[in-house]
Amino acid sequence: MQRDNYKNERDKYFKEIENLNHPNETLVKTHCSYCAMQCGMNLRVNTKTNKIIGVEPRYDWPVTLGKMCPKGVTAYQQVNNKDRLLKPLIRDDQSLKGTKNGFREASWDEAYDLIVKKFTELQTTYGKDSLSVYSGVSMTNEKCYLTGKFARVGLQTRYIDYNGRFCMASAAGGLNRSLGIDRGSTIPWTDVHETDCIFLAGSNTAECHPTMMFRVWAIQERGGYVIVADPRETPVARRADLHLDLKPGTDLALANGIVNLLIQNGYADEEFVKNHTNGFEETKELVKEFTPEYTSEITGVAPEKIIRAAELYGKAPNAIVMFARGIEQQIKGVDNVSAYTNMALVTGKIGRAKSGVATITGQGNGQGGREHGQKADALPGYRKIANPDHVKYVSKVWGIEPEEMPKEGVSAFEMFGLMEQKTIRSLYLLCSNPAVSAPDQNYVREQMKNLDFMVCVDFFLSESAEFADVVLPTTTWAEDEGTTTNVEGRIIKINRAQMPLGESKPDWQIQIEIAERLGRGKYFSHLKTSKDVFNELRVASKGGTADYYGVTWEKIDKQDGVFWPCKDESDPGTPHLFLDKKFNHPDGKAKILALPYRPSAEEPDEKYPLRLTTGRVVYHYLSGNQTRRIQFLRDMCPEPFVEVHPETAEKYSIEHEEYVRLYTRRGEATYKVKITEAIRKDTVFVPYHWGHEKSINLLTIGALDPYSRMPEFKTCAAQIEKMKTRAVQ
Amino acid sequence: MKKRLYLELENCIGCRSCLAACTQCGGHEERNRNYVYDVNPLVNRQTMPLMCLHCVNPACARSCPAQAIQIHETGAVLSALVEKCIGCQNCTIACPYGIPKFDTEQNLMYKCDLCIDRSKDGIPPMCASVCPSNTLQWLTDEEIEAKQKQFNLDNGKWVTSMPYLEGETNVRVNLPGILQGVTKLF
Ligand code: SF4
Ligand code: SF4
Ligand code: SF4
Ligand code: SF4
Repeated sequence: MQRDNYKNERDKYFKEIENLNHPNETLVKTHCSYCAMQCGMNLRVNTKTNKIIGVEPRYDWPVTLGKMCPKGVTAYQQVNNKDRLLKPLIRDDQSLKGTKNGFREASWDEAYDLIVKKFTELQTTYGKDSLSVYSGVSMTNEKCYLTGKFARVGLQTRYIDYNGRFCMASAAGGLNRSLGIDRGSTIPWTDVHETDCIFLAGSNTAECHPTMMFRVWAIQERGGYVIVADPRETPVARRADLHLDLKPGTDLALANGIVNLLIQNGYADEEFVKNHTNGFEETKELVKEFTPEYTSEITGVAPEKIIRAAELYGKAPNAIVMFARGIEQQIKGVDNVSAYTNMALVTGKIGRAKSGVATITGQGNGQGGREHGQKADALPGYRKIANPDHVKYVSKVWGIEPEEMPKEGVSAFEMFGLMEQKTIRSLYLLCSNPAVSAPDQNYVREQMKNLDFMVCVDFFLSESAEFADVVLPTTTWAEDEGTTTNVEGRIIKINRAQMPLGESKPDWQIQIEIAERLGRGKYFSHLKTSKDVFNELRVASKGGTADYYGVTWEKIDKQDGVFWPCKDESDPGTPHLFLDKKFNHPDGKAKILALPYRPSAEEPDEKYPLRLTTGRVVYHYLSGNQTRRIQFLRDMCPEPFVEVHPETAEKYSIEHEEYVRLYTRRGEATYKVKITEAIRKDTVFVPYHWGHEKSINLLTIGALDPYSRMPEFKTCAAQIEKMKTRAVQ
Repeated sequence: MKKRLYLELENCIGCRSCLAACTQCGGHEERNRNYVYDVNPLVNRQTMPLMCLHCVNPACARSCPAQAIQIHETGAVLSALVEKCIGCQNCTIACPYGIPKFDTEQNLMYKCDLCIDRSKDGIPPMCASVCPSNTLQWLTDEEIEAKQKQFNLDNGKWVTSMPYLEGETNVRVNLPGILQGVTKLF
């Protein structure tokens, strides 16, 4: 892969602006704790109390220039929040599992002793694999890396997986298959406003990644085009030149339909296709069937709109295809990713500046967190457990024999299945809240309740912590330092602005201390700081696809981040991928894939005639465990709602702000109706940030993509019922 | 170089980050002084911020019997002075845009002060710093002039609202519709 000369990408938007400095305060440069935009921010720290007291824009961060969404502006209010867990908690009475009750404060020693006793008992009786680790990617690379090592070397279990299965797994699968590499974006974000056409599929960009919106609008100001494919007229779709209002779950047909028109109408780049891709002819044959009319029949999008979309994308000198959870959280998510990537491969609009493909990563470290071995089948540097050479290399770095490396485990949602079968008897949960975020909640909660022993590590008492026997208090992002890898594939530095509150400890330290008590200290005790962990990660990733060896914390500071791959100290990193048109498959060619359409796991029928789709609002992040505790965000959006088209509402005789019962084959919940014309008539939408009886995941389906094992959050069959008496909330 | 608050209403995505940011400025006691409206909530997701325009001849200050509303040398129309405001609420009625808010507990008016602790030194106000969509910007007069050229239509059909809505204001506003004058690339 050829590198471009790294230049500190300061585009036309960059302005030298001084910060306001209040007396008795220092500013600590860092990034937001939430999404993968990883907006730059300064935390204001009182120099007398050494506490974080506010936020100041970070104008000199080249990606976001001081901009922040309301979550970012208020993110600091997590740190000294009144709900912070300050001491370990133990619950002796197992009958109280699934409630907030029965916890007592304990010392770290007592908590560790109990964990070690239970883990040892279970492993002695039921084998090493009776333990499991369920992790997340809203934390630094250092923590993600160490969690993988903790599970496989510390606990010696094969069962580790992470919440990226609900977030990035389909994008990873699709990009790997099409391009041979899974770096979420082939271009840096500073290219976005300079393209001529952006095609956004299944991305509620304005709410989920707001700080890229000024670049999206700038495309239109220059006379370029914005095309949005989404069942809802989201804020970005409202101003788009073209809104493809498809039925949830039909992206594969839409993408095939557009690729067909691109080929039929002469927009294919024959030279590029011939020299740099495989699979064009098969794909051409397969997509022939997807005429505008046939595509329209499946997707519900008017044929004229499909034709126009292909024309605009085809004509654009430079174009970017971007997608997000809308297309990925389906049982054909991996196929959807490859099918939309086909648009770029057929037209050759990839492998150069201002053109390319990107998945808009959800969680802050959704990229880095999936590269360094907390995925059931993966080892650091995007290596694979199935590959003996990979196992050999990583074993050596870790100081174990290759035979000691546990085998592949199973995906996050499938772990609940193993809990049901009692294969998994204990869970170590961190950085995730599956009691809100997993599909089919009634099933998932039952499995967590029946565990023999569960540890939850968090800084708030999450809905999932309610199922734990031991809760360990960890730090927020601002009380530890390390790196994350943002939406672009740029490795950036998170800095510590305050010492850990109460007795809380960073995850990496907790894991090392548990490993030591389990007698596995010799593999961990040399790691004294998060920087030590990063330096070990560099070596462990060396030579892998996601090679971080040449990345140092110092280089990150000097260059405003480093794009991987970065192979050695002199390597400045790789902002643009494939500039030499060499893709990462062994023959250097990308794959254009022929992908037959298949329906969703659960299509609407007479009993359940509506399509239920789920997603986010701008004010909340993931399971809401953090954002629901912040006053401003809570005030802006205190509870979930169901969006219903006025004609559909009339059919059910329901009114705006009335409470209705929404149900599927798996569960039901009560929601306030929000009438809006900005949604399809056959579709209802509910945001998923709430737990307990308000969780929409009580209704969603646990059907998985066969490749990525990602659940189909984005579509299932549902029905609405008017309530006889109005529910009082 | 003097900079002004410039609004391009077409861009707003309704994230209300401007409201969150306003709670963060010095002396704001965590209360925001701006508004964001859903234009047609049952129909679509269009939203618009409503900001103090810092009138050159401000009706709010003129209506104040206690001269509690001072005008800063930069032109910013400040929030009511605590020791002078008598809580008569004349200003809330006088302002053509309904900007001043009233704190019934303290019997005190409060309004946007253009983040005077920042803007007096040329530092962008909090709302204009964070706005993810560039609806709120902090620009020099030259930059604003360029915007005006870019978006003024010469087809006689439609012109954006700059320079002023009603009376002369320090803040410049472009109503929705800026894209109508853009020539498409292809
Ligand atoms: S949540 Fe995302 S867009 Fe919002 S401030 Fe944080 S990183 Fe930026
Ligand atoms: S911050 Fe900007 S985009 Fe968001 S609501 Fe305010 S004006 Fe609109
Ligand atoms: S907009 Fe209203 S509050 Fe602001 S200066 Fe003018 S009159 Fe006063
Ligand atoms: S300029 Fe400052 S005080 Fe005025 S609305 Fe914006 S943030 Fe609030």
